Amino acid sequence: MSEFFLELFSEEIPSKLQSNARKNLYENLKKFFEEHEILIKGKLNVFSTPNRLVVYVDKITKQISRKPKEIRGPSIQSPAQALDGFLRSNDIKKTQVYEKKTEKGEFYYYRKPSQKISTANLLSKNLPNILSKITWNKSMKWGNHNLFWGRPLKSILCIFDGKKLDFNFNHLKSSNITFIDKELEEKTKIFNSFKSYNSYFKSLGIFIDQEKRKSFISNEIIKLSKSKKIKINLKNNLLDEITNIVEKPKILFCDFDKKYLTIPKEILIITMQSHQKYFPTFDNKDNLTNNFIVIADKKDSKGLIKLGNERVIEARLNDAEFFWNKNRSQNLVKQVSNLKNVNYFKGLGTYFDKVQRIRKLCGIISDEMLISKEKIEIASSICKVDLMSDMVGEFPELQGIMGGYFAEAQGFDKEIGLAVSEHYLPIGMDSLVPKKPYSVALSLSDKLDSLVGFFGINLKPSSSKDPYALRRMAISLVRLIVENNNTLKLRDLINYSCMLYKDQSFEFDTKLIQKDLSEFILERLKNYLREKNVRNDIIESSTNIFNIDDILKIFKKSLALNRNIKKDFGKDVISIYKRSSKILYNEKENLSEIIGSADPGLFKNDFEKNLYKRIHEIRKYFSNISKFENYDESLKKLSLAKNEIDAFFDNVIVNDIDPVIKKNRLELLKMLCKSFENYFNFSKIEG
Amino acid sequence: MVSKKKKIKKKPLSFQDTILTLQKYWSKQGCILLQPYDLEVGAGTFHPATTLRSLGDQPWKTAYVQPSRRPTDGRYGDNPNRLQHYYQFQVLIKPSPSNIKKLYLNSIAVIGIDHNENDIRFVEDDWESPTLGAAGLGWEVWCNGMEITQFTYFQQMAGMECKPISVEITYGLERLCMFIQNKKNVFDLIWNNDGVSYKDVFHQSEKEFSAYNFEHANTDNLYKIFNMIEEEAKSLIEKKISLPAYDQCLKASHIFNILDARGVISVAQRAEYISKIRDLTKAIGKIWLESQK
Repeated sequence: MSEFFLELFSEEIPSKLQSNARKNLYENLKKFFEEHEILIKGKLNVFSTPNRLVVYVDKITKQISRKPKEIRGPSIQSPAQALDGFLRSNDIKKTQVYEKKTEKGEFYYYRKPSQKISTANLLSKNLPNILSKITWNKSMKWGNHNLFWGRPLKSILCIFDGKKLDFNFNHLKSSNITFIDKELEEKTKIFNSFKSYNSYFKSLGIFIDQEKRKSFISNEIIKLSKSKKIKINLKNNLLDEITNIVEKPKILFCDFDKKYLTIPKEILIITMQSHQKYFPTFDNKDNLTNNFIVIADKKDSKGLIKLGNERVIEARLNDAEFFWNKNRSQNLVKQVSNLKNVNYFKGLGTYFDKVQRIRKLCGIISDEMLISKEKIEIASSICKVDLMSDMVGEFPELQGIMGGYFAEAQGFDKEIGLAVSEHYLPIGMDSLVPKKPYSVALSLSDKLDSLVGFFGINLKPSSSKDPYALRRMAISLVRLIVENNNTLKLRDLINYSCMLYKDQSFEFDTKLIQKDLSEFILERLKNYLREKNVRNDIIESSTNIFNIDDILKIFKKSLALNRNIKKDFGKDVISIYKRSSKILYNEKENLSEIIGSADPGLFKNDFEKNLYKRIHEIRKYFSNISKFENYDESLKKLSLAKNEIDAFFDNVIVNDIDPVIKKNRLELLKMLCKSFENYFNFSKIEG
Repeated sequence: MVSKKKKIKKKPLSFQDTILTLQKYWSKQGCILLQPYDLEVGAGTFHPATTLRSLGDQPWKTAYVQPSRRPTDGRYGDNPNRLQHYYQFQVLIKPSPSNIKKLYLNSIAVIGIDHNENDIRFVEDDWESPTLGAAGLGWEVWCNGMEITQFTYFQQMAGMECKPISVEITYGLERLCMFIQNKKNVFDLIWNNDGVSYKDVFHQSEKEFSAYNFEHANTDNLYKIFNMIEEEAKSLIEKKISLPAYDQCLKASHIFNILDARGVISVAQRAEYISKIRDLTKAIGKIWLESQK
């Protein structure tokens, strides 16, 4: 077995491109090894530093043995070009093929002899193709070259079995030499194995393996946090990103002036985390501290690096403080009319228009949700004002949150501030969902207004494109309803929303919106059910008999059915329905005349009577049910018909010779089926 | 080389010496030293020596200082880090040489930033200029967490694919000098070695231009001027006179920036103005290229 080692040296490749290139290279190589039956022992390693993309396989087959194989060519009747093509693709002469009869006709055949292929040859022939198949999300050209790569590729080192493996890749030629100083690219060195390469860089403090680099960084941070008694969140993408932008990490413990801790913490955290790639730190009560951690890529021998980073954060926080002080004193209410100058979307008016619509939607919802109309109207009026602030201009991701802070600073009611702060939430499937009624009402109105508007101007998402993130918005809407046990009737709200647009002279086709948006929202609800691991047949049936006014009901019933379908009573429910509906719906001729009302006077035996009694009990249960239906209980109730239906089918022949009796029995089954169908459409559920 | 570095550390370069040193360095690398373009522009990239010269296949190497105007960044001279007028040092080389990183790192070494002692990082920054119809990939260069340079491989300019690729290096001279001179406030920068500070030279200008940009610029007139300039540009494009047409484009762009600072441009209008300027740039790029044949 041999060693295979490849290094691609380039200028600094950004973090995400690096992760993606690693994944790509791994998959492409794995596929290539499998296709060519190249065996490897141990791992297929793909490592990266900002400048180096490395593949290393410790043990790989030196030679592949292929057994002889008979290959079928074109039919002997096909034109000559077909045979020529066959000869060419197998690199053989006409004398090497023979004719053979099969069931499908007469064909040319070629017997490929057993073969020994050297892995090295295969690799050098195929590596250029494998490398060019790396898909960069963003790639570039440089100089006079035609190659597209994440950043300029400078050299390729490739070793197989201790020797250099030659191949050409665009303008580059592989060798056994690489640059050892990433900065100036002046010094080079020959390497003939990964071990010597890895230990050379290790001696310089450079980790080639990103996993080792990552655990080094996190261990150092944990050590530091213990000694300084602070908390640091390592469970976010920052650690991965930093791992990809350093090769020899050094941890620096820094601080900024405590006076900046009066600025909203979100601003401080974003400044440190997203802009500067620092780790913010927290005390044991989870309050932000004025300490932060810098991961430098160099030993700070003269203390310049710590000093420099501290000065940068000082300057940034100074700027943030200036804007914070300026913005928080700008009266929110007085600024509302300035929203007339801020366009929301072409065809949907300004933000002022939008806020007026949201305010009215909120008014209606407040009646349903039993919250103060006055408060929710204030919250909706001021909720978009922060878009005009310098703070949100600088930190767009803090929209809403800043508005909440401004409201708090200006003495608005806490619930109003929170509603403004949370009204963009949830963002899709994973983020937190607001729980406070004012926040729910505002968030819901904002999203519904946007959905109706975009559907109104016919900017619905296509199957592949969703530039305005409407899917995410609809999922957020579904989550707001379901996770708050909300029973709002969306169809009325959509109608009302269309009317509000109309009042501002934006005319939409209300009927079309109602139809399209319903389908769209129900599709998102189905996705949401999928996330909850509900069975596919249940999901597909869940929306059959309900509409978007029943989102909560659809969700709860689907979940109830999903969790009980494997239990005995769940199975009973399905089998009762299946048996009854099969007989009933096979009766094609008179089906339309069967309306679900059996005449007890026509019953011939107790089996019919007992079933009739049971159906009445079930119906009584459902008609007395409050809006707090226990869906498990309801299923159990349905399953109780098991005894009666079994006895009925065991002893009664539906298909009586007397057509009146027969019809009455079908009516009885129809009654039963209807009671079931009112609960859920069981027809496509697999037992 | 080592003894020189030590000398620098004893006394950091003044603002004007930084410029002189960079000019000397890039001149040695074969760059043509140009002077600033004599119109108001938002960045060194707008100088025709960058925009137009990055088009086409003729090799080109240049370096120059460009005063850059960003009306919205004005702070009346009160903010230690923000200015509506500042200096960029711009280098453009076509085709991008393979040792450009080394050339760059040596260029900051001669002005006192040694990459062995400071944490120099190349942080992802994909650049795009909607008004120029331009895009490039590269980095912002950080020195101990502070951005001191933009480093970009142009991929597209004036809506056209670049071939060969130019590399653009843009130093923010004030930031760079604040780092070299260890100053927290841009106005405290030492301009020369005879006691003149950045404040002496530019404080009044920051104050007055901030007031003009934010308060006094006559927007009705500016709208009119924009339209007149646009018209002029279109007629020059028709006549295939590329460089004067490009001048009109720069003027329009600056007028737009002042209107933006005055806060009278809505989101929708903004997109419209940008696309107007971009259309002009694209047309000019084409006729300039034709004129090169």
